[in-house]
Amino acid sequence: MLEIKCPYCGKRSQNEFSYGGDAAVKRPELGKEVSDKEWDNFVYLRKNPRGNHREFWHHVAGCRQWFKVLRDTSTHEIFKTARLDEEL
Amino acid sequence: MTAITPLELVHKKGTFGDHHKKNEEDLLQISEVKYLNIIQIVHYKKSTLQLNNITVEGLKFPLESSKVSFNKQTRILWNGPKTWLVISLNENILNNIREKCDDKNFAITDISHSRAVVQIKGFQAREVLKKGSPINLNEFEKDNCAGTVFHGVTILVDLINDNPDTFNLFTLRSFGESFYHHITDAALEFGYVGV
Repeated sequence: MLEIKCPYCGKRSQNEFSYGGDAAVKRPELGKEVSDKEWDNFVYLRKNPRGNHREFWHHVAGCRQWFKVLRDTSTHEIFKTARLDEEL
Repeated sequence: MTAITPLELVHKKGTFGDHHKKNEEDLLQISEVKYLNIIQIVHYKKSTLQLNNITVEGLKFPLESSKVSFNKQTRILWNGPKTWLVISLNENILNNIREKCDDKNFAITDISHSRAVVQIKGFQAREVLKKGSPINLNEFEKDNCAGTVFHGVTILVDLINDNPDTFNLFTLRSFGESFYHHITDAALEFGYVGV
């Protein structure tokens, strides 16, 4: 069983969580002119690395908070988790 | 409060499962907890109000994960950062909360009708929950609460007593029937009394 340490609740089973996507993607700045290429990159382009990956997860069956996870995509080892307002 | 409770047509009274030659007092007891007032309180993130001086029914808001503050009539469950569930038998609880928690700083929602509540009581209650829930129940102590899943159904577990273990299990009303069947099915192995 994969366990994830929620920054609010502590270690819980992965069953309680939901994956929320790549945490490294930055949304284009609000109010700025955005080219089609930039928007396309933001919406669709993902690196899909083999190794360390920063991700969003949601503790959907627990405290319902979003947080960040640093995970190895090949071993599933989780190195660190952090709140959204913390550095990972 | 409506007379139709979420499990009224589902819950069966009697003795079920492997109860033969067992003392009925040692069997698990499963019941529906009815007519609870369930109020969700959310403290707005942008609010600068300090919670130290605010009490509801004389109870402070628990600020740590899995903590519950309680008295005879009311329990305040930590449900997430700045989010609590108030479970009370007091019919005036909503007004009492509104007096203490103003709507500039708090969102207060009465969700009494949107939850089904099952109580399971007995020395094997933890074993029943372990069959469907991944949470570490061995570390669960009296007056702890936690949100988790039971066979995929999102539930809130509140351990109100530990001699014998008595869990109040809250789930969405629409999942109530399915959840009730999951729990009673898991309890058949030990034998249970529907109360």
